[in-house]
Amino acid sequence: MALRSASRRAGALVLLALLAALPVSAGVAQVKLKLPLKPRLPLRGNEKIALAPFVIATEAEKARDKRLQNVDLQAEFQRFLKKQIEKKTKLEIVELPTDLKLPTQNLSELGRSTEFWRALGTQTGAEIVVSGSLEFRVEDRSGYKTEEYVSPIDGRTYYRQVYVEQTGFLFDIVFLVFDGRSGEKILQDEFKDFRQTGGRRADELQGLFENLFSLENQILNLFVARDRDAERYIFTD
Amino acid sequence: MRSRMFKKLALVAGVVAMAAGCSSYSRTDKAQTQISFGSSVARKGLWREAAFRFERAVQQEPNNARAHNNLAVALEAEGEFARALAEYKRALELDSGDSYIRRNYARFAEFYTSYTRTTGKASGGP
Repeated sequence: MALRSASRRAGALVLLALLAALPVSAGVAQVKLKLPLKPRLPLRGNEKIALAPFVIATEAEKARDKRLQNVDLQAEFQRFLKKQIEKKTKLEIVELPTDLKLPTQNLSELGRSTEFWRALGTQTGAEIVVSGSLEFRVEDRSGYKTEEYVSPIDGRTYYRQVYVEQTGFLFDIVFLVFDGRSGEKILQDEFKDFRQTGGRRADELQGLFENLFSLENQILNLFVARDRDAERYIFTD
Repeated sequence: MRSRMFKKLALVAGVVAMAAGCSSYSRTDKAQTQISFGSSVARKGLWREAAFRFERAVQQEPNNARAHNNLAVALEAEGEFARALAEYKRALELDSGDSYIRRNYARFAEFYTSYTRTTGKASGGP
């Protein structure tokens, strides 16, 4: 009896020892990375920056779409951008005249309006000037969708059509960044986001900010270094 | 008698297991040692040290796909994306069937494409 228990203990010890050796040859581990993203603009970091108005691409539709009338896209976006730059960069925001009008509502022409941007830079002391275009759309995405259904009677899977009410928010922003001294365009970039929420009468402003917050990292990466989370596998032996 | 034999056997197995664990750090001339140490510091977030270890592993065994994969991951963490791309490609060349290397490369390629599309240039290039 004593002999059997001793041999069991010894067996367990052997097993433990082998288990201890296992991780050495286990092989793979998942690791989390923070990928460092360099800023898109070659800046010192403490430049004077002016936030000029953006062209509102959906301005013409505002009269027809009641939901767009509830959102002052220009004001909301400028407020968001100013707050983010103040909070997360060391750039100094310079104020622009409140009655500043863009020379054109055409994005390509705006990018070529070198004289206008140089004059604005000289007038305000801004080393870089940001402008571009904004597009925000609220779309009714309601409709019939196919869903799986398991019958409680015969246990079989069927497919049925159900009506789902959903609202989509599309946000498209084109950034134009100009050198305040020369008026030359130094960067053009576009960011897009689409969010979909349940319900037909989802709040427009809430949708807009969901779009903006999802683009926050990319927008800030224009001016400052940012991180991006990633997962990878490394071999451990 | 039999019990004593089992005890001895257990002792020997334990010593062998411990020796196997310790030996992985004691022979620095082996790529496996560098990979093992590099991966342990990588898991602590010490990516510069990890990159150095994986680089040594690659020097010691240029045809070790695992070493190239690990080096690529460490270079990514350091923001050396262009070099990471080259290492992932080499790892795949050496072992195109490894699912972990393929998955890493796919994820990296997705990130790197959008990164170069937005910056217009490769980062960390020679």
